[in-house]
Amino acid sequence: MNGWSGRMLSVDLTAGICTVDEIPEKLLHAYLGGRGLGVRFMRDSHRLHPFDPAMPLIFSVGPLCGTSAPTAARLSVVSRSPLTGTIYDCSAGGKFAWRLKGAGYDLLRIAGISPQPVTLVIGESGGELIPADVLWGTTIPVTVAALEGLGSVAAIGPAGENGVLFANIMMGEGNSVGRGGLGAVMGRKRLKAVVVNGSRNSIIAQRDRFQTARTDVMRLLRASPVIFGELGLAEYGTPALVDLMKQRRMAPTENFSKTWFSDSHRYSGPAMRAECAAVKDGCHGCPIQCKKSTPQGEHLPEYETVSHFGALNGISDLQAIVKANTLCNELGMDTISAAATVAAWGEARGRFPHAGEMSGILESIAHRRGEGELLAQGSRRATEILGRPELSMSIKSLELPAYDPRGAYGMALAYCTSGRGGCHLRAYPISHEILRKPVATDRFSFSGKARIITIAEDTNAAVDSLVACKFSFLGASMEEYSELLSAATGVEYTPQGLKEIGKRICLTERFYNCANGFDFRHDQLPDRFFTQPGSSGDGIEIPPLDRERFDQELQKYYRIRGLTPEGTFADPGFLEQQP
Amino acid sequence: MRDQIARYSAKLLADRSAIPGTIAIAVQDDLLFAVGGEPEATLAEQILGELDALALVVARPPLPFADLLIRRSSPESRQIVPNDTENRTFLHDIPFIRAEEQDSNLAKRIAGLLGGRKGVIVEGVGLVAVGSITVEQAYINYSSVFHSTFVKYLQDLLDEGFLFPGEEENFGAFRREWLLPLTADGLAFRSGPLEHREGILDELATVGRYTVERGLVDSFFGNISCRCGGLIYISQTGASLDALPGCIDPVPFDNSSTTGITASSELLAHRRIYESSGVGTILHGHPRFAVVMSMLCQETECRVDDCWKECPKVRYLDDTPVVAGEIGAGGLARKVPPVIAGPGKAIVFGHGVFTTGTEGFREPLQRMIDVENWCRDEYFRRLDRVTLHPASKSVDKNAAVEVKRGSI
Repeated sequence: MNGWSGRMLSVDLTAGICTVDEIPEKLLHAYLGGRGLGVRFMRDSHRLHPFDPAMPLIFSVGPLCGTSAPTAARLSVVSRSPLTGTIYDCSAGGKFAWRLKGAGYDLLRIAGISPQPVTLVIGESGGELIPADVLWGTTIPVTVAALEGLGSVAAIGPAGENGVLFANIMMGEGNSVGRGGLGAVMGRKRLKAVVVNGSRNSIIAQRDRFQTARTDVMRLLRASPVIFGELGLAEYGTPALVDLMKQRRMAPTENFSKTWFSDSHRYSGPAMRAECAAVKDGCHGCPIQCKKSTPQGEHLPEYETVSHFGALNGISDLQAIVKANTLCNELGMDTISAAATVAAWGEARGRFPHAGEMSGILESIAHRRGEGELLAQGSRRATEILGRPELSMSIKSLELPAYDPRGAYGMALAYCTSGRGGCHLRAYPISHEILRKPVATDRFSFSGKARIITIAEDTNAAVDSLVACKFSFLGASMEEYSELLSAATGVEYTPQGLKEIGKRICLTERFYNCANGFDFRHDQLPDRFFTQPGSSGDGIEIPPLDRERFDQELQKYYRIRGLTPEGTFADPGFLEQQP
Repeated sequence: MRDQIARYSAKLLADRSAIPGTIAIAVQDDLLFAVGGEPEATLAEQILGELDALALVVARPPLPFADLLIRRSSPESRQIVPNDTENRTFLHDIPFIRAEEQDSNLAKRIAGLLGGRKGVIVEGVGLVAVGSITVEQAYINYSSVFHSTFVKYLQDLLDEGFLFPGEEENFGAFRREWLLPLTADGLAFRSGPLEHREGILDELATVGRYTVERGLVDSFFGNISCRCGGLIYISQTGASLDALPGCIDPVPFDNSSTTGITASSELLAHRRIYESSGVGTILHGHPRFAVVMSMLCQETECRVDDCWKECPKVRYLDDTPVVAGEIGAGGLARKVPPVIAGPGKAIVFGHGVFTTGTEGFREPLQRMIDVENWCRDEYFRRLDRVTLHPASKSVDKNAAVEVKRGSI
């Protein structure tokens, strides 16, 4: 078999057993890997509670991992989110994915609950569980330092151990499996870390064809101003978006009560370069290197993080923001949800925290102490407890990232249709509404957006299953990646075929969610966006969203997806018709 | 959606890339429909119904070049590979379906090809192009295929002359009737220096529109900029030069802001030209004859394969330097600035023309027109010699492209 290894490692933490199984080839062809394959392997578990002992935690690489395909050294982690209750996946880069593939596995499935804290060590001959009592309670850097001699590490910090609902799984190089709280799922299993150390090479079916496609991708990346332009992601990282979001007047400010923050230039890409001496950093094997670090190796925050610890909480102190980011990474917590939950709490109590308070708040969340016990549950639960549910800027309990939906109507719709809640990456309409890729669309119009969002969701589901980074697609397209995939596997794929695979994945996720009670009532933005304007100025009007027009477009989306007006499935036998 | 269909149908007519009455555009939101002539509209609807895409254009170009490229292809060929570098980068290749291969499953066959590529040539039917997420994208892809086939056919003629009965007569009609005189007559410009924001934005939009109207750029190619104080005002990436209002980024020279992340992919080239030559305005277009002529080369012992990016030499078309270089962060930004300072013009191999002006835009637009007219005249001079005196072809082929300088 080319591209895939065709093997999976199953781990039963309760019994302490690791077994190697084959993955049916037809499932690999139909779901590719990463998110798609992980979602398929959730078919028998999607109704379980996220903390049920039988709930699997799945790490899944893709057929391009282990090759020189640009940005493809990634994996997806899949389970059910304790924060949102939805099926959940998150893509992350780093050597861990590369080494898991190198160990000969396409997928790692972990179920059960260990009687005591353990670390799972994976090599080419299988898996082994070793005690982790001494590591329990330690931060990510301490855990990684203790284990990195054994291979690449994926670990949880105190937040995951303590069940913070937005706890991350952190990769040793600093990448995070973020947003949905899969770190808490791992913590509940008393699994402190997974270490993997494979080194097998992937076999490419058609080398010359692969090299041609790779050259095409690199040419397109170089031609994209967003990626390799002198103001692009390779130079400034995602904080390059700080100035742009300010200029577009869609930077969420003070818990989304405003959309413009006068002091955001203090933590912009150029400011970070000047003040922190930012240097290039990034995922293993990625030519873009969009992450930035200090010369001492401290990871600098991404756009979402600087904006949410910044404007969303009314803070402009770059050093405080960098510290908050570092603390979240060390404690194993999602920065977007952490910052947004703090902002919602700040508005509820009538005062946003000042820069000096943030570290203490984050520590209290990770250890569930004091107000941290409340905030560890995320903004939706916290504001409900406070009697101010309208202040949670979330969808399906997932806090919205740093693109105000009043400034990009496709983004408004995509937040709602996203199967994992308020996420910008499922359809990533920022690419065309703001960054003009592959072509520009009118950000203040709903026209055509239902179809555009559907196509983008399908495409990105396929991207997440290859697994590749979405930033590649700000230059290259599925034309080039389908060539890479076909050349790597020897199985012919076209862009259209990949979108059909993506559609199958998206509908399967939606079916799982509907089975757990989700419907159109959960595909809704907070009222604030329909009733309050953003911060107009510089000739740009940011009015409230038109609810009637939004609802029309949401219904269009349901019709395009073949769903009922309630956003559910008319055919209860949908799953049985899928491979 | 209907306003978009009307807009891009009008653009296809305005840029003369489609015959009136043969244009059909299909779109699908929650409903699928097509607007246009028959049978193109029915075909467009059938094709788009097979695709996970938003829009599709079917139209017949007024020039038979695409069909002739199919006839010139070897029997086993299934696609044309564009020679111009921009389309080589974005289209890779253009599949085609021969007339004798067309049957009742034509729509499905076209859809199958469009499942992997942005545009298809269907012999006797026309060009078909898909837009994944907008009508505009379908127009861009159609226009790109039109540009590519135009350039490649003209290149092939220089290599092989006319091969089929009637081909020469058809080409004569193209030369006499379809091609229009290219001048700057009747165009009004602001006199420089351009110093005020509103005036700069207005002039960029006006000159961008001129560039499109005079046929100096197809599709959404090309870019334009003006330097004023510490700012470069430059068209955004993927902006159509005839629709620039709202699509111009002011970019600080000192990179103190990143709002210009959406600026043209040639921002770096513009910046370096400003830094090295002290000019005030820059215009970049893709005039077709300049693109064709830039790819002719007299070298016979050269070992460079990827001439469009690897050629290290400065060649000349008349007094205009020709250099190679990839777009964006590739070599173009490195190779154009050193050669453009003196003549105020440069051609990038298989790509397009950069021209500069001291203050306003009259100078760069006139320069671009002059370059294209010279290339057009030289092309026909050479074609005439090839077709009238086939034996002289090998000797004359590249006589106009002179190597004057060594490597840069």
